[in-house]
Amino acid sequence: MRRMDAQNENGSAVASCPKDALLEFENVSFTYPDGQPGLDGCSLTIREGSRNALIGANGAGKTTLFLHANGLFRPRAGTVRYSGQPIDYSRAGLRRLRSEVGLVFQNPDQQLFSANVREDISFGPLNLGLDQETVCERVDAALEAVRMSGFADRLAHTLSFGQKKRVCIAGVLAMRPRLLILDEPMAGLDHAMRKDLLSVFDRLYGQGITLLLATHDIDFAFRWADRIHLMAAGRCIAAFDAENLADNAEALKEAALPLPDIIGLRRHLVETRALDGSRAPRSVSELLDFLTQRSI
Amino acid sequence: MKTRCLAWKRPEHAVLIDLCAYSNRWRAADPAAKGLFALSGLVSAFVAGNPLAAAGIGVVVSGITVWGAGIPFSRFFRASLAPLCFFLLGALSLACSIDYRAGEFSVAWLPGGWTPVGRLAARSCGALASLLFFALTTPMTDQIALFRRLKLPETLIEIMVLCYRMLFVFSETLRDIHTAQNSRLGYASPSLALRSAGSLAAVLVVQVWQRARALHLSALSRNGDGAFHFLNPVFANGRRDMVFALAGSALLFALLAGMR
Repeated sequence: MRRMDAQNENGSAVASCPKDALLEFENVSFTYPDGQPGLDGCSLTIREGSRNALIGANGAGKTTLFLHANGLFRPRAGTVRYSGQPIDYSRAGLRRLRSEVGLVFQNPDQQLFSANVREDISFGPLNLGLDQETVCERVDAALEAVRMSGFADRLAHTLSFGQKKRVCIAGVLAMRPRLLILDEPMAGLDHAMRKDLLSVFDRLYGQGITLLLATHDIDFAFRWADRIHLMAAGRCIAAFDAENLADNAEALKEAALPLPDIIGLRRHLVETRALDGSRAPRSVSELLDFLTQRSI
Repeated sequence: MKTRCLAWKRPEHAVLIDLCAYSNRWRAADPAAKGLFALSGLVSAFVAGNPLAAAGIGVVVSGITVWGAGIPFSRFFRASLAPLCFFLLGALSLACSIDYRAGEFSVAWLPGGWTPVGRLAARSCGALASLLFFALTTPMTDQIALFRRLKLPETLIEIMVLCYRMLFVFSETLRDIHTAQNSRLGYASPSLALRSAGSLAAVLVVQVWQRARALHLSALSRNGDGAFHFLNPVFANGRRDMVFALAGSALLFALLAGMR
């Protein structure tokens, strides 16, 4: 049943797209000027207010898809829709789109070009034509959201990798986007920084921001996301609610991804009757909770 | 085999200046006040009639930088070393010229003797001390804000912003590539070092191009339309700082008048 859902995203059945769709790709194709394929008939839907994980191997087309979502690339074929409307590639149209769709690049040094943190975060809001007072308020709020309030006057090159990543997120948050896209935000971060960043995402999700992030970590995607999109060879080969991941083993195999460890563990525990079959934990801590409840 | 790595053992010149600019006592003072005092030092060194007066200006401004702003003398000296070497070479080339004719070298000295050389060197040192005062006490971000207040051309300011940021990004990239080469004995012998330095330069050129493209995309994604817009920083004690700068400038001009 869920696999059908996934197939719909790949086919031409765009009419079946949900009403709350914020971003839609319909058979989008793109080739780089050097002939390298980017996207090949990619279809995908991001629902408003949801947490989405885009998973795929390197070169699957994740970054290319993100650059299309922000209007930086224009499809050779197919349509990208935002809020139900095809993207308007005029100057004013792109301005509107980029003020609502924030993109955080994988490498923070690719995004930070101002000398100090405050100046870099103010770049986007000032480009929106806001007055200095409003910009200052937004900069402070964005720094607070990523828990970097004490770093406003620090120089960009004196920050650690993780701090730079958070400043990049703040730079996009200061533009108050409805959809926040993050290209492999966990790459290069240690466990503590990942945990910290995850709590920032949870906070943003709580504020109603739709999140779409690229990752290679299937365990993380299963634990965190509402919806998982699998990419391979420039196409979204499947999309399903994260809770139904176990039913999509074939699609995962096609994307050269394993099932999350927690699913294998749960199956074993259900088979050995150590766990109730109706329980579907998505993380080790959830599983431990269920086991503790059972033993009580 | 022992490999040598002389570069990057100490902070680079730009990092040294940055370190001083962010850690001195007058870090939070209004850059306009510091700029005014530096300009006064520059002008007084330039108009000083005798070399002693110009050198006196240099000594006073250096003293204010070290004792007043709290820049450690060793850092001040290291920051001034490169321009001082440049001055020395300039003074020597002014004092004498070497000629090679009919298989023989001949040295010709400046007809006016050492006086013009001394005047030039003293003026240059006075001017250098003033510029170092400004550079070592004022972070680049404050300098840029000041230049914006002074209505310098936007393009010039944007280039300054990008160059400043890129300086650190590329010094990091350079260091990473150099370390990677060094770890595989890339600098084990002079010929290997030459080869490695060549490939490092080639890789850097490509990286510069890629980085420029990436920054352009990133600016576009945040609605960058080509022009940079900046927040105007506020300095709480601007008036007080200006009064101190005017007093300091008056002191310099009084010294100049006294040593005429």
